[in-house]
Amino acid sequence: MQIDWLTVAAQIVNFLVLVWLLQRFLYRPISNAMRRREDRIEERLAEARSARGDAEEEAERLRQERAELAERKEQMLEEARAEADDLRKERAAALRAEMEEKRETWQAQLAQERADFARAVQEQAARELIEITEDVLQDFADADLADRVSRTFVARLENLEEARREKLAQAARDSDEPARVETASPLPAEAKRRLTRAIHDGLSTDLEVQYAETADLVLGVRLAIGDQTVEWSVRRYLDRLENAMTETLKAGGPVPEAAQQTEGADTA
Amino acid sequence: MEISPDSWILYEWRGLQLNATIAFTWVVMAVLVIGARAITLRLSAGETVSRWQVMLEVIVSTIRQQIDDVGAQKPDRYLPFIGTLFLFIATANILAIVPGYQPPTGSLSTTAALAICVLIAVPLFSIARRGLAGYLKTYVRPTPFMLPFNIISEVSRTVALAVRLYGNVMSGTVIVGILISVAPFFFPVLMQLLGLLTGLIQAYIFAILAMVYIASASRVHGKTGGDDAPNPEKGD
Repeated sequence: MQIDWLTVAAQIVNFLVLVWLLQRFLYRPISNAMRRREDRIEERLAEARSARGDAEEEAERLRQERAELAERKEQMLEEARAEADDLRKERAAALRAEMEEKRETWQAQLAQERADFARAVQEQAARELIEITEDVLQDFADADLADRVSRTFVARLENLEEARREKLAQAARDSDEPARVETASPLPAEAKRRLTRAIHDGLSTDLEVQYAETADLVLGVRLAIGDQTVEWSVRRYLDRLENAMTETLKAGGPVPEAAQQTEGADTA
Repeated sequence: MEISPDSWILYEWRGLQLNATIAFTWVVMAVLVIGARAITLRLSAGETVSRWQVMLEVIVSTIRQQIDDVGAQKPDRYLPFIGTLFLFIATANILAIVPGYQPPTGSLSTTAALAICVLIAVPLFSIARRGLAGYLKTYVRPTPFMLPFNIISEVSRTVALAVRLYGNVMSGTVIVGILISVAPFFFPVLMQLLGLLTGLIQAYIFAILAMVYIASASRVHGKTGGDDAPNPEKGD
Protein backbone atom coordinates (compact mmCIF):
# COMPACT_ATOMS: atom_id res chain seq x y z
CA MET A 1 0.00 0.00 0.00
CA GLN A 2 1.81 2.99 -1.21
CA ILE A 3 0.40 6.23 -2.43
CA ASP A 4 2.53 8.58 -4.47
CA TRP A 5 0.71 11.86 -3.94
CA LEU A 6 2.37 13.43 -6.93
CA THR A 7 1.00 10.62 -9.07
CA VAL A 8 -2.38 11.05 -7.41
CA ALA A 9 -2.41 14.71 -8.40
CA ALA A 10 -1.30 13.89 -11.90
CA GLN A 11 -4.01 11.24 -12.19
CA ILE A 12 -6.64 13.67 -10.99
CA VAL A 13 -5.56 16.08 -13.67
CA ASN A 14 -5.41 13.28 -16.20
CA PHE A 15 -8.91 12.21 -15.28
CA LEU A 16 -10.32 15.70 -15.53
CA VAL A 17 -8.63 16.18 -18.88
CA LEU A 18 -10.08 12.89 -20.02
CA VAL A 19 -13.53 13.96 -18.86
CA TRP A 20 -13.23 17.15 -20.87
CA LEU A 21 -11.86 15.38 -23.95
CA LEU A 22 -14.49 12.69 -23.92
CA GLN A 23 -17.22 15.24 -23.32
CA ARG A 24 -15.98 17.07 -26.38
CA PHE A 25 -15.24 14.14 -28.67
CA LEU A 26 -17.61 11.45 -27.51
CA TYR A 27 -20.65 12.30 -25.42
CA ARG A 28 -21.69 15.51 -27.06
CA PRO A 29 -21.34 14.39 -30.72
CA ILE A 30 -22.96 11.07 -30.04
CA SER A 31 -25.79 12.61 -28.07
CA ASN A 32 -26.32 15.21 -30.74
CA ALA A 33 -26.30 12.61 -33.49
CA MET A 34 -28.78 10.46 -31.60
CA ARG A 35 -31.01 13.39 -30.89
CA ARG A 36 -30.90 14.47 -34.50
CA ARG A 37 -31.75 11.01 -35.64
CA GLU A 38 -34.56 10.73 -33.14
CA ASP A 39 -35.92 14.05 -34.33
CA ARG A 40 -35.62 12.87 -37.87
CA ILE A 41 -37.32 9.59 -37.14
CA GLU A 42 -40.05 11.42 -35.28
CA GLU A 43 -40.44 13.72 -38.23
CA ARG A 44 -40.55 10.80 -40.63
CA LEU A 45 -43.07 9.05 -38.45
CA ALA A 46 -45.20 12.15 -38.34
CA GLU A 47 -44.91 12.42 -42.10
CA ALA A 48 -45.77 8.77 -42.48
CA ARG A 49 -48.75 9.17 -40.16
CA SER A 50 -49.91 12.17 -42.09
CA ALA A 51 -49.37 10.41 -45.41
CA ARG A 52 -51.16 7.40 -44.08
CA GLY A 53 -54.05 9.55 -42.94
CA ASP A 54 -54.16 11.16 -46.36
CA ALA A 55 -53.99 7.79 -48.05
CA GLU A 56 -56.76 6.45 -45.86
CA GLU A 57 -58.91 9.45 -46.64
CA GLU A 58 -58.16 9.03 -50.30
CA ALA A 59 -58.94 5.32 -50.09
CA GLU A 60 -62.18 6.07 -48.30
CA ARG A 61 -63.11 8.62 -50.93
CA LEU A 62 -62.26 6.21 -53.71
CA ARG A 63 -64.24 3.48 -52.03
CA GLN A 64 -67.25 5.74 -51.82
CA GLU A 65 -66.83 6.80 -55.41
CA ARG A 66 -66.62 3.21 -56.51
CA ALA A 67 -69.72 2.31 -54.53
CA GLU A 68 -71.53 5.24 -56.07
CA LEU A 69 -70.40 4.22 -59.50
CA ALA A 70 -71.52 0.66 -58.97
CA GLU A 71 -74.84 1.90 -57.68
CA ARG A 72 -75.25 4.23 -60.61
CA LYS A 73 -74.27 1.49 -63.03
CA GLU A 74 -76.80 -0.85 -61.50
CA GLN A 75 -79.42 1.87 -61.66
CA MET A 76 -78.62 2.65 -65.28
CA LEU A 77 -78.69 -1.02 -66.16
CA GLU A 78 -82.03 -1.34 -64.43
CA GLU A 79 -83.35 1.67 -66.27
CA ALA A 80 -82.04 0.42 -69.57
CA ARG A 81 -83.53 -2.97 -68.93
CA ALA A 82 -86.89 -1.46 -68.04
CA GLU A 83 -86.70 0.79 -71.08
CA ALA A 84 -85.85 -2.12 -73.33
CA ASP A 85 -88.67 -4.13 -71.80
CA ASP A 86 -91.10 -1.29 -72.36
CA LEU A 87 -89.86 -0.83 -75.89
CA ARG A 88 -90.18 -4.52 -76.55
CA LYS A 89 -93.71 -4.59 -75.16
CA GLU A 90 -94.59 -1.48 -77.08
CA ARG A 91 -93.20 -2.91 -80.30
CA ALA A 92 -94.95 -6.19 -79.68
CA ALA A 93 -98.22 -4.40 -78.99
CA ALA A 94 -97.76 -2.23 -82.06
CA LEU A 95 -96.93 -5.24 -84.15
CA ARG A 96 -99.90 -7.11 -82.78
CA ALA A 97 -102.17 -4.15 -83.41
CA GLU A 98 -100.78 -3.80 -86.89
CA MET A 99 -101.29 -7.45 -87.57
CA GLU A 100 -104.78 -7.26 -86.15
CA GLU A 101 -105.50 -4.27 -88.31
CA LYS A 102 -104.12 -6.01 -91.37
CA ARG A 103 -106.10 -9.07 -90.58
CA GLU A 104 -109.25 -7.02 -90.15
CA THR A 105 -108.50 -5.14 -93.36
CA TRP A 106 -107.91 -8.38 -95.12
CA GLN A 107 -111.05 -9.87 -93.67
CA ALA A 108 -113.00 -6.77 -94.61
CA GLN A 109 -111.48 -6.91 -98.05
CA LEU A 110 -112.30 -10.56 -98.27
CA ALA A 111 -115.85 -9.90 -97.14
CA GLN A 112 -116.08 -7.00 -99.53
CA GLU A 113 -114.80 -9.13 -102.38
CA ARG A 114 -117.15 -11.87 -101.46
CA ALA A 115 -120.03 -9.40 -101.29
CA ASP A 116 -118.95 -7.80 -104.56
CA PHE A 117 -118.74 -11.15 -106.19
CA ALA A 118 -122.15 -12.16 -104.83
CA ARG A 119 -123.60 -8.86 -105.91
CA ALA A 120 -122.11 -9.20 -109.35
CA VAL A 121 -123.51 -12.66 -109.57
CA GLN A 122 -126.86 -11.48 -108.34
CA GLU A 123 -126.88 -8.51 -110.69
CA GLN A 124 -125.94 -10.72 -113.55
CA ALA A 125 -128.68 -13.14 -112.54
CA ALA A 126 -131.21 -10.33 -112.26
CA ARG A 127 -130.24 -8.92 -115.62
CA GLU A 128 -130.49 -12.35 -117.13
CA LEU A 129 -133.88 -12.81 -115.49
CA ILE A 130 -135.13 -9.50 -116.80
CA GLU A 131 -133.86 -10.20 -120.28
CA ILE A 132 -135.39 -13.61 -120.28
CA THR A 133 -138.67 -12.19 -119.06
CA GLU A 134 -138.47 -9.49 -121.68
CA ASP A 135 -137.69 -12.01 -124.42
CA VAL A 136 -140.48 -14.31 -123.29
CA LEU A 137 -143.01 -11.49 -123.18
CA GLN A 138 -141.91 -10.17 -126.58
CA ASP A 139 -142.23 -13.65 -128.01
CA PHE A 140 -145.80 -13.75 -126.74
CA ALA A 141 -146.66 -10.17 -127.78
CA ASP A 142 -149.01 -10.70 -130.60
CA ALA A 143 -152.41 -9.07 -131.47
CA ASP A 144 -154.29 -11.14 -128.99
CA LEU A 145 -152.10 -10.17 -126.24
CA ALA A 146 -152.26 -6.53 -127.33
CA ASP A 147 -155.98 -6.76 -127.21
CA ARG A 148 -155.87 -8.26 -123.75
CA VAL A 149 -153.50 -5.55 -122.68
CA SER A 150 -155.79 -2.83 -124.04
CA ARG A 151 -158.66 -4.35 -122.12
CA THR A 152 -156.66 -4.41 -118.96
CA PHE A 153 -155.60 -0.80 -119.51
CA VAL A 154 -159.24 0.23 -120.14
CA ALA A 155 -160.28 -1.49 -116.93
CA ARG A 156 -157.52 0.23 -115.08
CA LEU A 157 -158.44 3.58 -116.55
CA GLU A 158 -162.01 3.11 -115.46
CA ASN A 159 -160.94 2.18 -111.97
CA LEU A 160 -158.60 5.13 -111.66
CA GLU A 161 -158.89 6.99 -108.35
CA GLU A 162 -160.75 10.29 -108.42
CA ALA A 163 -157.90 12.71 -107.76
CA ARG A 164 -155.85 11.13 -110.45
CA ARG A 165 -158.64 11.14 -112.92
CA GLU A 166 -159.27 14.81 -112.11
CA LYS A 167 -155.67 15.65 -112.77
CA LEU A 168 -155.76 13.83 -116.08
CA ALA A 169 -158.99 15.59 -117.09
CA GLN A 170 -157.49 18.95 -116.14
CA ALA A 171 -154.44 18.16 -118.27
CA ALA A 172 -156.70 17.15 -121.15
CA ARG A 173 -158.55 20.46 -120.90
CA ASP A 174 -155.41 22.59 -120.67
CA SER A 175 -153.41 20.81 -123.31
CA ASP A 176 -153.61 21.74 -126.93
CA GLU A 177 -151.87 18.61 -128.05
CA PRO A 178 -153.71 15.37 -128.55
CA ALA A 179 -153.56 12.50 -126.08
CA ARG A 180 -150.86 10.04 -127.04
CA VAL A 181 -151.25 6.28 -126.62
CA GLU A 182 -148.12 4.23 -126.98
CA THR A 183 -148.01 0.49 -127.25
CA ALA A 184 -145.24 -2.04 -127.81
CA SER A 185 -146.95 -3.71 -130.70
CA PRO A 186 -149.57 -2.37 -133.11
CA LEU A 187 -153.12 -2.52 -131.69
CA PRO A 188 -156.02 -3.94 -133.66
CA ALA A 189 -158.68 -1.42 -134.64
CA GLU A 190 -161.12 -2.86 -132.12
CA ALA A 191 -158.73 -2.27 -129.32
CA LYS A 192 -157.98 1.25 -130.53
CA ARG A 193 -161.71 2.07 -130.57
CA ARG A 194 -162.19 0.65 -127.13
CA LEU A 195 -159.33 2.71 -125.82
CA THR A 196 -160.49 5.91 -127.53
CA ARG A 197 -163.94 5.41 -126.13
CA ALA A 198 -162.65 4.75 -122.68
CA ILE A 199 -160.56 7.95 -122.81
CA HIS A 200 -163.48 9.95 -124.09
CA ASP A 201 -165.74 8.49 -121.47
CA GLY A 202 -163.40 8.86 -118.59
CA LEU A 203 -161.63 12.13 -119.32
CA SER A 204 -162.69 14.36 -122.14
CA THR A 205 -165.03 13.71 -124.98
CA ASP A 206 -163.37 15.97 -127.51
CA LEU A 207 -159.86 14.80 -126.86
CA GLU A 208 -157.99 13.65 -129.93
CA VAL A 209 -156.12 10.37 -129.49
CA GLN A 210 -152.96 9.45 -131.37
CA TYR A 211 -151.53 5.96 -131.42
CA ALA A 212 -147.85 5.18 -131.58
CA GLU A 213 -145.62 2.18 -131.10
CA THR A 214 -142.57 2.06 -128.91
CA ALA A 215 -140.54 -1.07 -128.34
CA ASP A 216 -139.24 -0.17 -124.90
CA LEU A 217 -142.60 -0.87 -123.24
CA VAL A 218 -142.14 -4.57 -124.03
CA LEU A 219 -145.77 -5.19 -123.37
CA GLY A 220 -148.40 -2.67 -122.23
CA VAL A 221 -149.93 0.73 -122.84
CA ARG A 222 -148.86 4.29 -121.98
CA LEU A 223 -151.29 7.22 -122.09
CA ALA A 224 -149.69 10.67 -122.08
CA ILE A 225 -151.87 13.84 -121.83
CA GLY A 226 -149.79 16.97 -121.56
CA ASP A 227 -147.48 16.40 -118.64
CA GLN A 228 -149.67 13.65 -117.13
CA THR A 229 -149.02 10.01 -117.90
CA VAL A 230 -150.82 6.77 -117.15
CA GLU A 231 -148.98 3.61 -117.97
CA TRP A 232 -149.48 -0.03 -117.58
CA SER A 233 -146.61 -1.99 -119.04
CA VAL A 234 -144.27 -4.84 -118.38
CA ARG A 235 -141.46 -2.26 -118.71
CA ARG A 236 -142.60 -0.63 -115.51
CA TYR A 237 -142.76 -3.97 -113.80
CA LEU A 238 -139.35 -4.76 -115.07
CA ASP A 239 -138.04 -1.36 -113.98
CA ARG A 240 -139.53 -1.87 -110.58
CA LEU A 241 -138.09 -5.34 -110.41
CA GLU A 242 -134.72 -3.98 -111.35
CA ASN A 243 -134.96 -1.22 -108.74
CA ALA A 244 -135.98 -3.67 -106.07
CA MET A 245 -133.15 -5.97 -107.03
CA THR A 246 -130.61 -3.17 -106.99
CA GLU A 247 -131.79 -2.02 -103.58
CA THR A 248 -131.78 -5.52 -102.23
CA LEU A 249 -128.34 -6.21 -103.60
CA LYS A 250 -127.11 -2.95 -102.07
CA ALA A 251 -128.61 -3.96 -98.73
CA GLY A 252 -127.02 -7.42 -99.17
CA GLY A 253 -130.38 -9.16 -99.04
CA PRO A 254 -131.46 -12.09 -101.17
CA VAL A 255 -132.58 -11.32 -104.66
CA PRO A 256 -135.67 -13.52 -105.04
CA GLU A 257 -137.59 -11.65 -102.33
CA ALA A 258 -137.11 -8.38 -104.20
CA ALA A 259 -138.48 -9.94 -107.33
CA GLN A 260 -141.60 -11.09 -105.47
CA GLN A 261 -142.27 -7.58 -104.24
CA THR A 262 -142.83 -6.27 -107.81
CA GLU A 263 -146.30 -7.76 -107.87
CA GLY A 264 -149.11 -5.28 -108.19
CA ALA A 265 -147.26 -2.49 -109.93
CA ASP A 266 -149.10 0.72 -110.15
CA THR A 267 -149.08 3.92 -112.11
CA ALA A 268 -146.70 6.63 -111.20
CA MET B 1 7.81 -8.48 -8.77
CA GLU B 2 6.31 -5.05 -8.88
CA ILE B 3 3.16 -4.67 -6.90
CA SER B 4 2.43 -1.12 -8.02
CA PRO B 5 3.23 0.39 -11.38
CA ASP B 6 4.06 3.58 -9.47
CA SER B 7 7.48 2.25 -8.68
CA TRP B 8 8.17 1.42 -12.33
CA ILE B 9 10.01 4.55 -13.43
CA LEU B 10 10.15 4.96 -17.17
CA TYR B 11 11.78 8.36 -17.43
CA GLU B 12 13.32 10.83 -15.08
CA TRP B 13 14.07 14.44 -15.75
CA ARG B 14 15.37 16.88 -13.17
CA GLY B 15 13.79 15.04 -10.27
CA LEU B 16 10.44 14.63 -12.05
CA GLN B 17 9.73 10.96 -12.52
CA LEU B 18 7.44 9.59 -15.23
CA ASN B 19 6.21 6.32 -13.75
CA ALA B 20 4.28 3.54 -15.55
CA THR B 21 0.98 4.56 -13.93
CA ILE B 22 0.93 7.94 -15.58
CA ALA B 23 2.34 6.63 -18.83
CA PHE B 24 -0.27 3.88 -19.16
CA THR B 25 -2.98 6.33 -18.13
CA TRP B 26 -1.97 8.42 -21.09
CA VAL B 27 -2.08 5.38 -23.26
CA VAL B 28 -5.62 4.63 -22.08
CA MET B 29 -6.59 8.26 -22.58
CA ALA B 30 -5.08 8.25 -26.06
CA VAL B 31 -6.94 5.07 -26.98
CA LEU B 32 -10.23 6.47 -25.75
CA VAL B 33 -9.89 9.95 -27.23
CA ILE B 34 -8.48 8.86 -30.57
CA GLY B 35 -11.01 6.06 -30.89
CA ALA B 36 -13.89 8.37 -30.03
CA ARG B 37 -12.60 11.09 -32.31
CA ALA B 38 -12.09 8.68 -35.22
CA ILE B 39 -15.63 7.43 -34.94
CA THR B 40 -17.38 10.70 -34.21
CA LEU B 41 -15.67 12.40 -37.14
CA ARG B 42 -17.92 10.46 -39.44
CA LEU B 43 -21.14 10.61 -37.49
CA SER B 44 -24.33 10.04 -39.35
CA ALA B 45 -27.75 11.31 -38.39
CA GLY B 46 -29.43 9.41 -41.17
CA GLU B 47 -30.67 5.87 -41.51
CA THR B 48 -27.35 4.26 -42.39
CA VAL B 49 -25.09 4.18 -39.34
CA SER B 50 -21.64 2.64 -39.14
CA ARG B 51 -21.09 -0.27 -36.75
CA TRP B 52 -18.60 1.73 -34.71
CA GLN B 53 -21.09 4.51 -34.28
CA VAL B 54 -23.68 1.99 -33.25
CA MET B 55 -21.26 0.62 -30.68
CA LEU B 56 -20.60 4.07 -29.25
CA GLU B 57 -24.28 4.87 -29.25
CA VAL B 58 -25.04 1.66 -27.41
CA ILE B 59 -22.35 2.41 -24.83
CA VAL B 60 -23.46 5.99 -24.29
CA SER B 61 -27.14 5.21 -24.16
CA THR B 62 -26.54 2.27 -21.81
CA ILE B 63 -24.58 4.47 -19.43
CA ARG B 64 -27.28 7.08 -19.57
CA GLN B 65 -29.90 4.42 -18.93
CA GLN B 66 -27.96 3.17 -15.92
CA ILE B 67 -27.69 6.71 -14.55
CA ASP B 68 -31.40 7.10 -15.08
CA ASP B 69 -32.09 3.81 -13.30
CA VAL B 70 -30.16 4.96 -10.25
CA GLY B 71 -32.60 7.82 -9.99
CA ALA B 72 -30.93 10.93 -11.36
CA GLN B 73 -33.40 13.19 -13.05
CA LYS B 74 -31.12 14.57 -15.73
CA PRO B 75 -28.72 11.86 -16.96
CA ASP B 76 -26.97 14.21 -19.38
CA ARG B 77 -25.59 16.29 -16.50
CA TYR B 78 -23.84 13.30 -14.91
CA LEU B 79 -22.99 11.49 -18.14
CA PRO B 80 -19.49 12.97 -18.72
CA PHE B 81 -18.32 12.27 -15.19
CA ILE B 82 -19.87 8.87 -14.61
CA GLY B 83 -19.32 7.74 -18.19
CA THR B 84 -15.66 8.70 -18.14
CA LEU B 85 -15.18 6.88 -14.84
CA PHE B 86 -16.63 3.73 -16.33
CA LEU B 87 -14.89 3.98 -19.70
CA PHE B 88 -11.53 4.82 -18.19
CA ILE B 89 -11.57 2.00 -15.64
CA ALA B 90 -12.99 -0.51 -18.12
CA THR B 91 -10.47 0.35 -20.82
CA ALA B 92 -7.59 0.37 -18.34
CA ASN B 93 -8.64 -3.10 -17.13
CA ILE B 94 -9.35 -4.58 -20.58
CA LEU B 95 -5.99 -3.46 -21.93
CA ALA B 96 -4.44 -5.78 -19.33
CA ILE B 97 -4.55 -8.51 -21.95
CA VAL B 98 -1.86 -6.62 -23.86
CA PRO B 99 1.56 -8.03 -22.90
CA GLY B 100 3.80 -5.58 -21.10
CA TYR B 101 0.87 -3.42 -20.05
CA GLN B 102 0.27 -2.63 -16.41
CA PRO B 103 -3.25 -1.40 -15.65
CA PRO B 104 -3.04 2.04 -14.01
CA THR B 105 -6.03 1.05 -11.91
CA GLY B 106 -3.73 -1.42 -10.20
CA SER B 107 -2.06 1.58 -8.57
CA LEU B 108 -3.50 2.87 -5.34
CA SER B 109 -2.51 6.36 -6.49
CA THR B 110 -4.88 6.12 -9.48
CA THR B 111 -7.79 4.65 -7.55
CA ALA B 112 -7.24 7.20 -4.80
CA ALA B 113 -7.26 9.96 -7.40
CA LEU B 114 -10.56 8.64 -8.83
CA ALA B 115 -12.05 8.29 -5.36
CA ILE B 116 -11.00 11.83 -4.53
CA CYS B 117 -12.66 12.99 -7.71
CA VAL B 118 -15.88 11.28 -6.59
CA LEU B 119 -15.44 12.76 -3.10
CA ILE B 120 -15.25 16.22 -4.58
CA ALA B 121 -17.90 15.64 -7.25
CA VAL B 122 -20.57 14.59 -4.77
CA PRO B 123 -20.72 17.95 -2.95
CA LEU B 124 -20.22 19.83 -6.20
CA PHE B 125 -23.20 18.22 -7.91
CA SER B 126 -25.22 18.52 -4.73
CA ILE B 127 -24.38 22.20 -4.30
CA ALA B 128 -25.06 22.85 -7.96
CA ARG B 129 -28.46 21.36 -7.48
CA ARG B 130 -29.38 22.37 -3.93
CA GLY B 131 -27.14 25.27 -3.06
CA LEU B 132 -24.40 25.32 -0.45
CA ALA B 133 -26.68 25.57 2.55
CA GLY B 134 -28.79 22.72 1.33
CA TYR B 135 -25.72 20.58 0.92
CA LEU B 136 -24.28 21.42 4.33
CA LYS B 137 -27.58 20.58 5.98
CA THR B 138 -27.15 16.98 4.89
CA TYR B 139 -24.43 16.59 7.51
CA VAL B 140 -26.74 17.48 10.39
CA ARG B 141 -29.52 15.18 9.33
CA PRO B 142 -31.40 13.48 10.74
CA THR B 143 -29.89 15.21 13.87
CA PRO B 144 -26.83 17.40 14.45
CA PHE B 145 -25.62 14.54 16.56
CA MET B 146 -24.98 12.63 13.35
CA LEU B 147 -22.51 15.20 11.99
CA PRO B 148 -19.31 13.29 12.86
CA PHE B 149 -20.73 10.05 11.60
CA ASN B 150 -21.71 11.66 8.33
CA ILE B 151 -18.21 13.01 7.90
CA ILE B 152 -16.73 9.62 8.71
CA SER B 153 -19.14 8.08 6.19
CA GLU B 154 -17.94 10.43 3.47
CA VAL B 155 -14.31 9.66 4.12
CA SER B 156 -14.72 5.95 4.63
CA ARG B 157 -16.70 5.41 1.47
CA THR B 158 -14.08 7.29 -0.51
CA VAL B 159 -11.38 5.10 0.94
CA ALA B 160 -13.54 2.08 0.28
CA LEU B 161 -13.95 3.06 -3.37
CA ALA B 162 -10.23 3.50 -3.83
CA VAL B 163 -9.21 0.35 -2.03
CA ARG B 164 -11.90 -1.85 -3.60
CA LEU B 165 -10.81 -1.05 -7.14
CA TYR B 166 -7.14 -1.15 -6.32
CA GLY B 167 -7.44 -4.44 -4.46
CA ASN B 168 -9.38 -6.16 -7.20
CA VAL B 169 -7.17 -5.08 -10.07
CA MET B 170 -3.91 -5.46 -8.16
CA SER B 171 -4.94 -8.88 -6.86
CA GLY B 172 -5.75 -9.98 -10.39
CA THR B 173 -2.33 -8.93 -11.61
CA VAL B 174 -0.61 -10.47 -8.65
CA ILE B 175 -2.49 -13.75 -8.91
CA VAL B 176 -1.62 -14.06 -12.56
CA GLY B 177 2.04 -13.38 -11.71
CA ILE B 178 2.06 -16.00 -9.00
CA LEU B 179 0.23 -18.57 -11.16
CA ILE B 180 2.71 -18.11 -13.98
CA SER B 181 5.49 -19.15 -11.63
CA VAL B 182 3.48 -22.10 -10.25
CA ALA B 183 1.51 -23.38 -13.26
CA PRO B 184 2.71 -21.68 -16.39
CA PHE B 185 0.13 -23.27 -18.77
CA PHE B 186 -3.61 -22.66 -19.14
CA PHE B 187 -4.28 -21.39 -15.64
CA PRO B 188 -2.92 -17.91 -16.29
CA VAL B 189 -5.18 -17.68 -19.36
CA LEU B 190 -8.24 -18.58 -17.32
CA MET B 191 -7.23 -16.16 -14.63
CA GLN B 192 -6.73 -13.43 -17.21
CA LEU B 193 -10.21 -14.09 -18.56
CA LEU B 194 -11.50 -13.90 -15.03
CA GLY B 195 -9.44 -10.74 -14.61
CA LEU B 196 -11.21 -9.18 -17.65
CA LEU B 197 -14.57 -10.01 -16.16
CA THR B 198 -13.54 -8.68 -12.79
CA GLY B 199 -12.16 -5.52 -14.37
CA LEU B 200 -15.42 -4.79 -16.17
CA ILE B 201 -17.47 -5.54 -13.09
CA GLN B 202 -15.24 -3.26 -11.02
CA ALA B 203 -15.59 -0.48 -13.57
CA TYR B 204 -19.35 -0.89 -13.42
CA ILE B 205 -19.37 -1.00 -9.60
CA PHE B 206 -17.19 2.08 -9.31
CA ALA B 207 -19.29 4.13 -11.70
CA ILE B 208 -22.60 3.01 -10.24
CA LEU B 209 -21.48 3.65 -6.66
CA ALA B 210 -20.28 7.13 -7.62
CA MET B 211 -23.66 7.78 -9.20
CA VAL B 212 -25.47 6.42 -6.16
CA TYR B 213 -23.48 8.72 -3.88
CA ILE B 214 -24.17 11.72 -6.07
CA ALA B 215 -27.83 10.86 -6.47
CA SER B 216 -28.36 10.26 -2.76
CA ALA B 217 -26.61 13.51 -1.88
CA SER B 218 -28.88 15.33 -4.29
CA ARG B 219 -32.03 13.52 -3.33
CA VAL B 220 -31.84 12.97 0.40
CA HIS B 221 -32.65 16.57 1.22
CA GLY B 222 -35.90 16.56 -0.65
CA LYS B 223 -37.09 13.51 1.28
CA THR B 224 -35.88 14.28 4.80
CA GLY B 225 -36.32 18.04 4.53
CA GLY B 226 -40.06 17.62 4.20
CA ASP B 227 -40.26 19.81 1.09
CA ASP B 228 -40.94 17.38 -1.64
CA ALA B 229 -41.72 20.14 -4.09
CA PRO B 230 -39.06 20.58 -6.78
CA ASN B 231 -36.42 23.02 -5.61
CA PRO B 232 -35.09 25.78 -7.80
CA GLU B 233 -32.06 24.52 -9.60
CA LYS B 234 -29.35 26.92 -8.57
CA GLY B 235 -26.14 27.13 -10.58
CA ASP B 236 -27.42 24.71 -13.19
